[in-house]
Amino acid sequence: MDGIKTLADLKKKQEEVRSRIDLRNRAESPESIVQVKVAMATCGIASGAKEVMEYFVEELDKRSIDAVVTQTGCMGYCFAEPTVEITMPGKEPMVFGYVNARKADEIIERYIKEGELVDGIIPQNYNTI
Amino acid sequence: MVDMAMHMMDVVQNSIRAQSKEIEIGFFEDSSNHTLTFRVEDDGCGMSREAVQKLADPFFTTRTTRRAGLGIPLLKMTCEQAGGALSVLSEAGGGTVVEAVYRTDHPDCLPLGDIAGYLALLLKANPGIRIRFAYRMDKALFTIDSHELQKEGVDVLCPGMMSAVKEYIRQNLNELYTKRPSGSLLCR
Repeated sequence: MDGIKTLADLKKKQEEVRSRIDLRNRAESPESIVQVKVAMATCGIASGAKEVMEYFVEELDKRSIDAVVTQTGCMGYCFAEPTVEITMPGKEPMVFGYVNARKADEIIERYIKEGELVDGIIPQNYNTI
Repeated sequence: MVDMAMHMMDVVQNSIRAQSKEIEIGFFEDSSNHTLTFRVEDDGCGMSREAVQKLADPFFTTRTTRRAGLGIPLLKMTCEQAGGALSVLSEAGGGTVVEAVYRTDHPDCLPLGDIAGYLALLLKANPGIRIRFAYRMDKALFTIDSHELQKEGVDVLCPGMMSAVKEYIRQNLNELYTKRPSGSLLCR
């Protein structure tokens, strides 16, 4: 990217982006789109959650998947950081551990797109019968 | 924590967890006194006097998911090892101010790190919170305000805009860094 230094440059870029991409209709309720939560507490930051979060933001944009990426606090799985919680519309949240860029790619391609389960899931919602 | 940008993300995450609606982040370099002040102020739920006193204890935490809280103790450690000090002002219901002073003439002063990257992520991930950021290098100042950006029609949530905002912050910070007088041990 070259020369975005002033607010005017930033606004120009915004116009460019607007005209290039037909704005996908952002769903009114967050329940109907994919929610990605990256754990960004001390443990997550120290083990590289920033790179994972940037990867998710950029790749989901590139692959035109309607998703909202947010940060969250520590989920208590510090041993498995960076961890990511993904909520597919109408499904239970799923937590993935030891996520790096490669793992994130697998999660996007297989879990988010196809709904297949991939390795590295942290079982967190046990239900007793 | 290997750089200040990580500390910034960490402290701001605390503010977000305290349900803040406005967060002010500041880095103030003073080359005549060789100090860098890193400051985060929020309007969140604040802490009681007892909680503030126990903050530096790594085994004090309010969360229930684990029994340690290392964010503030690590910040205290990194600024004290660089000859600085940490102060936290807070009262229950009245927001919090975290201020860490680093000596930039100390060899153990942390590098700044990727402030632009973390800040762009913060803006992208928290559209409901007004985030104001300021970096002052003696008299030169760079500020960014999420409300101002929205007013100008810049939408960080738009695909592709996060990297543009990051580039904007990075270029402006890099220009500020060129104004830093020699003799400072602070690096990017």
